[in-house]
Amino acid sequence: MAKFNDTIHQPVRLQIMAALVTLGSEKEVDFSYLRDLLGVTDGNLGAHLRKLEEAGYIKVNKEFVERKPRTFISASEAGRQVFQEHVQALEEILKKE
Amino acid sequence: MNITPTEAEQALEAIQAMVRKTQKAISTSGAYNFLILWGFVWLVGFLSSHFVTGNLVGYIWMGLDILGGLGSVVLGIRLSRKVRSHSGLASGKRIGWFWLLLFAYCVALILVASPVDGKQVAMIIVLFVMIGWVAMGLLLSVASIRWSLGITALALIGYFLLPDFFFLWMAVLGGGGMIGLGFYIRSSW
Repeated sequence: MAKFNDTIHQPVRLQIMAALVTLGSEKEVDFSYLRDLLGVTDGNLGAHLRKLEEAGYIKVNKEFVERKPRTFISASEAGRQVFQEHVQALEEILKKE
Repeated sequence: MNITPTEAEQALEAIQAMVRKTQKAISTSGAYNFLILWGFVWLVGFLSSHFVTGNLVGYIWMGLDILGGLGSVVLGIRLSRKVRSHSGLASGKRIGWFWLLLFAYCVALILVASPVDGKQVAMIIVLFVMIGWVAMGLLLSVASIRWSLGITALALIGYFLLPDFFFLWMAVLGGGGMIGLGFYIRSSW
């Protein structure tokens, strides 16, 4: 039985993981691009990313690009697995009905 | 946390919506644009090589390559700002330098191998471009190596087996093929 994940299940975090997993394992996305994609504020996105990073589900890469600070985010391998399990858990809940 | 089937369904719909949105967002700025851009360059360039004679062909290719180069820089900048590969090597500047150096080596080889005819120049350029795409594939997207190898194979077939129609072959299958592949990749998202 797949495991339901409370951390991921929050609506914005669910969308974050869906977007990052869709990108693929080789890719990382710019913070502002993710923010615009999700339609949330900087603060809102930052808070949710911290939660996911603390849980080990995402990787956050901060660096300077042409002297400007940039933040790139990607899903970790653990995050991908947990997300896939969470989707399975949601589907199992529907099947039970 | 216990959630109802309705909540589970809504969560799954939200996931699907975000997946579709992400795919569409990537497709509007994805690397497939390079395929379409250079496919157009090859289509027009090789058609002119087949139908036009004299020095005009050279000027047409020069103009097309400049447009293609500028377009590639713009696309590369747009792409690198949003989504990029994990590898630290795949930064935009290094990629730009890579293509510049590859072009320089290509020109050097053509000069060393001279005198060469138009088909040989075209084939050498095609091979260097495909080497470049294979290298980009190894760095950024392994799946894209397949079409690089495919186009190389088509080019070699046209060069050795259809010499009288090589330019037309490259225009239709090379240029047209790259354009078609670019739109297919975009639509398959």
